[in-house]
Amino acid sequence: MRQPNNMILETALKLLLFFIVLFSIYIFTAGHYYPGGGFIGGLMTAGAIVLLLITYDIKTVQKILPVDYRIVTAIGLLFSIGTSAGALFFNVPFLTHVFTHVEVPVLGDLALHTATIFDLGVYFVVIGVTMTIILTIGEDE
Amino acid sequence: MAFQILLNIVLAYLWMFIKVSFDPVSFVKGYLFGLVVIFVLRRFFRSRFYLFRIWSFIKLTLIFLKELLLSNIAIVKIVLKPKLTMHPGIFALQTNLTKDWQITLLSSLITLTPGTLVIDISEDNRTLFVHAMDIGEVQDEISGIKNTFEKAILEVSR
Repeated sequence: MRQPNNMILETALKLLLFFIVLFSIYIFTAGHYYPGGGFIGGLMTAGAIVLLLITYDIKTVQKILPVDYRIVTAIGLLFSIGTSAGALFFNVPFLTHVFTHVEVPVLGDLALHTATIFDLGVYFVVIGVTMTIILTIGEDE
Repeated sequence: MAFQILLNIVLAYLWMFIKVSFDPVSFVKGYLFGLVVIFVLRRFFRSRFYLFRIWSFIKLTLIFLKELLLSNIAIVKIVLKPKLTMHPGIFALQTNLTKDWQITLLSSLITLTPGTLVIDISEDNRTLFVHAMDIGEVQDEISGIKNTFEKAILEVSR
């Protein structure tokens, strides 16, 4: 069985991967005002990693991204629970979010919202769960 | 080429800092003056002056658009013929390109022009196997691809 020559796929991926990841980050940040958010952004980032898995093998991808995806899931859950439970310290109900406008010298007016951190937790959970499922299916010998 | 573009941007920033005016207009002015300076001192660099490369890339795009139009018309002719007189076939194309991105670009251009399609690359990246929808004269096909796309890609990477 002759191994196919993946040269074209690898070269195209070297360029396309960065575009996909950047677009997924945009989708994640646009979630408050436009369609998007943590779930779809996390799925798209996981899709980029799956594209890496299709092009190379699992060992190479583990070298490129030395991440344990179960820990990523745990960190995401911690983010979400932490932002929800933080409301309890200020005597307001669970899951109450606050937002402020902050004047940063260079960037100008930033609207900071704690729901973004909650969404970041969702983002990490989606990446972790998707990659755990795919890797456990792919790794069984 | 990347170094020249970076140097040009740094020169534009230097111009902005000298003039103490941080707006896009002065950036563009500084960029243009830097372009002139780099053009005059272009023999310092090992590669060509980068505007020439950008110009040859535009030429490659125009060649591709022309080929796309012509081969589309040829395919429509074949499809609309009442008799099926085409002869599909696979031929090997020896390429002189060495770098990965050059071969990827060449195979993408061959695939995007209708009628020809890259199936596989040999192990040593020297031979492309191309499927042609109507294989008339193999030598004509090869020389056609060589004279248009390969020459233009070599021109870009010179």
